[in-house]
Amino acid sequence: METKQEHKNTVGARLSNESFLTLFMIGVLVVLFGAACAVVPNFYLPQNMLNLITNNWFIIILGIGVTFLLISGNFDMSVGGVIALTGVLSAYFCQGANVSQNALANGLGLPYGVAVALALLCALGIGAINAFFIARLKVPSIIVTLGTMMLARGIGQVITRGAQRNTSLPDVFGVVGNIAIRGTSIKISVVIMVVLVIAAFIFERMTVPGRRTYLIGANAEAARLSGITVGRHLTFLYLTSALLAGITGILLASEFKAGVSSRAMGYEFDALVVSLLGGVSIAGGFGSVLGMFVGAVILSVVTTSATGLLLSPDWQFTLKGIVTFIAILAQRFALDRRKG
Amino acid sequence: MSVKGVKEESDQLQRERSLAVRANIKRFYIYVVLALIVILFSVVKLGQVEMFGRGHFLSPASVINLLRTAVPIMTLSGAFTLLMISGYIDLSVGSAMSLSAVVFALMILNGFPFLLALVIVLIMGIAMGALNGLLVMKLRITPVIATLVTLSLFKGIALLIVPGGLSAIKGSAEKVMPPWINFYARKAVLLGMPWAFFVALAVIAILVVVQRKTILGKYAAAIGGNRTAAELSGINVVRMGWLLYVIVGFFAALAGVARASYMSLGDPLSGDLMELDNIIAVLLGGTAFSGGEGSVAKTIIGALIIMCVTTGLMTVIPAYWQTVAKGSVLLLAVVLNHLLVREKVKA
Repeated sequence: METKQEHKNTVGARLSNESFLTLFMIGVLVVLFGAACAVVPNFYLPQNMLNLITNNWFIIILGIGVTFLLISGNFDMSVGGVIALTGVLSAYFCQGANVSQNALANGLGLPYGVAVALALLCALGIGAINAFFIARLKVPSIIVTLGTMMLARGIGQVITRGAQRNTSLPDVFGVVGNIAIRGTSIKISVVIMVVLVIAAFIFERMTVPGRRTYLIGANAEAARLSGITVGRHLTFLYLTSALLAGITGILLASEFKAGVSSRAMGYEFDALVVSLLGGVSIAGGFGSVLGMFVGAVILSVVTTSATGLLLSPDWQFTLKGIVTFIAILAQRFALDRRKG
Repeated sequence: MSVKGVKEESDQLQRERSLAVRANIKRFYIYVVLALIVILFSVVKLGQVEMFGRGHFLSPASVINLLRTAVPIMTLSGAFTLLMISGYIDLSVGSAMSLSAVVFALMILNGFPFLLALVIVLIMGIAMGALNGLLVMKLRITPVIATLVTLSLFKGIALLIVPGGLSAIKGSAEKVMPPWINFYARKAVLLGMPWAFFVALAVIAILVVVQRKTILGKYAAAIGGNRTAAELSGINVVRMGWLLYVIVGFFAALAGVARASYMSLGDPLSGDLMELDNIIAVLLGGTAFSGGEGSVAKTIIGALIIMCVTTGLMTVIPAYWQTVAKGSVLLLAVVLNHLLVREKVKA
C-alpha cells in the first residue's frame, strides 16, 4: 500500500484519470482483502484467492460488453435474458428429436456445433433489436434493453414451458463448460474469460474504434460531427455485448448440462455493479476494462467474506447496493481531490 | 416576404395540417387501443363462454377482479408519470412496493391497528423517495444507476425481514394473520369494489389536477423540457425533483399496502417488474421519453391496457407466455410512442 502511494505521487501527473481510478480501486481491493483475511477464517488460502477470480468468470465476461456500452453512455440490461435464451436454445436445438412423449425432452436433434452457432445467432438477434431501437430510433437504452430482457427470457420460458430442458442431451453438451486445464481446477470458461479480457484491453487501448467509444460517450454530437458513424459504432457494441452474453449462456448451460429459463436472473445488475465498482461512469466517456476486472474481484471479496461470516444469502442484495453506493461516492471524492 | 416566403408559408400550412392530424391521432389512439383490446378478449373465447357470462372477459366477476388487481399500478403510475414528465426515472418503485408490503404485513401480524401501520408504511415510503431524491438530485448520481442501487437495497431489506425458510410474511399456526387485513383491498364496499379502488380513483383525480392545474405539474414539464432553462427561470430544480421522488415513494408505499392487503400476506417479490409495468403505461400514455410532456390521465388508460393484456392473455395462453408478451408490449409501446410523440417534440 505504501509503495503504491509513492508510485502515485511520483508519476501521478502522467497517469490518466482512468489509470488513477484503477490504481485507487486496486488499493481499495488490497485493503478489503487484508480486512477479509483478518476477519474471515481461511480467507488467505491460495485456493480461495484463485476462487475469487474463477468463480466470477461469467460476470466478468458480461462486464466487458456492459463496460464498453456504459463508456459510450448506454445501458444493456438484456444480458441476463440473453444468457437464459442462448442456454435454453442450445439445449433445445441439440436435444434428440422425437425421443419421448414428454415435450420438454424433444428437441431438434441438431449437432452440437450447429446448435451453438444458431443460439449465438439468436443472441445477436437480440443485440440487433437493441441496436435498432437505440441507434436508429434514439430510444433511451434503459427502456429498450429492459424490454429485450423480458423478450429474451420470455422466449426462453416459452421454449422450456417455464421450467428447464435437461433430458436427452448429447454427451458433448456438457463438455465445454466442465473440462478443466490438466492438473488444475481452472475451467476452460475461465481461460476464455481471461482471453476476452486481454482482447478487450487491447481493443480499448490500442484500436481506433476503442478510442472512439470514449469520444461517443463524452460527446455524441461532437463525435458525429467529427465523422464517426455513431449509430454503426453503437450497433457494433450492442452486438458484441449480446454475443458475449450468448457465449456465457452456452458455457453456463453446458456447465450445468441443462437449459434453464430462470438462469442468470439479476446478472445484468451484477455486470453493471462490477463496471461501476471499476470506475466506469455513465455520464461520459470514462472507465476501463481493467477497472471493471478489479471491480469484479472487489465484489467477489465482499460477497465471499459475507458468506464466510455466515450471513444469509438474503444479504447479497443489500450488500451490493451499499457497496456500489459507497464506491460511486468514493471514486467521485478521489477524482475531485485529484483535480482540486 | 418574398416568393420564397410564400412557398415556405404553404409548406408550413401543410405541415400544420399534418401536425393537426397527428395530434388528433395522438389524442385518441390510446382509447382506441384499449377498446380494441377489450373487444378482442371479449370475442376470442365466445365459442366456449357466453357473452357477459361466467368466465367471460367482461363478466362482472372478471371486471371486478381485473380492477382489484389493477389497484397497485393505478395508485402508482400517476406519480410515476409526473416523475417521467420531469425527465427522471425511478426503477426502485417495485422494490419499494415489496418492502412496504412486507413491513405492512409484519405490523398487522404483530397486532398493530390498521391506521397506525398505514401511517408508518407511508412515512417509510416518503423516506425511500427521499433517499432516491438525495442520490439523484443532491449527489447527482445518474437516475437509472441511483434507483437501481436502491432497488437492490429495498429488495434486500425486504428479503431480510422475511424469516429464513419462509417465502413471505404470513400467518402461521402460532401467529394468525388477522383476517381483516384484506378489508382494505379485497372486501367489497360499493359496486363490488374495495376501499383501495376508491382510494386509487381519488389519487388519480388528485394527480390529474396536480398535473394540469398546479405549479408542480407545470414545473415538472418545464424541467423535463429543458432543465437548464427551468433552472435559469428560477425554478428550484433540485427541490422539485426531490419532491417528485418523495411523491413516487409515497404512492409506491400505498400501492404496497394495497398489494399486501389484497393477498393477505407480505411477499418480498410481489413488486418485481412493477417498474416495467409503469414504464409501459407511461409510454402508452404518450409521455415523451425525455420528459417535457405527458398526461397522467392517459397513463392510467395505459395501465388498464397492460392489466387487460396480462389478465386477458392468461385466459387464452399458458402462463409461461406472460414475460414474452409483456416484453413485446413494451417494445410495441416504444414504437407507438416513437411514431406519435417524437415528431411533435421536434416541431
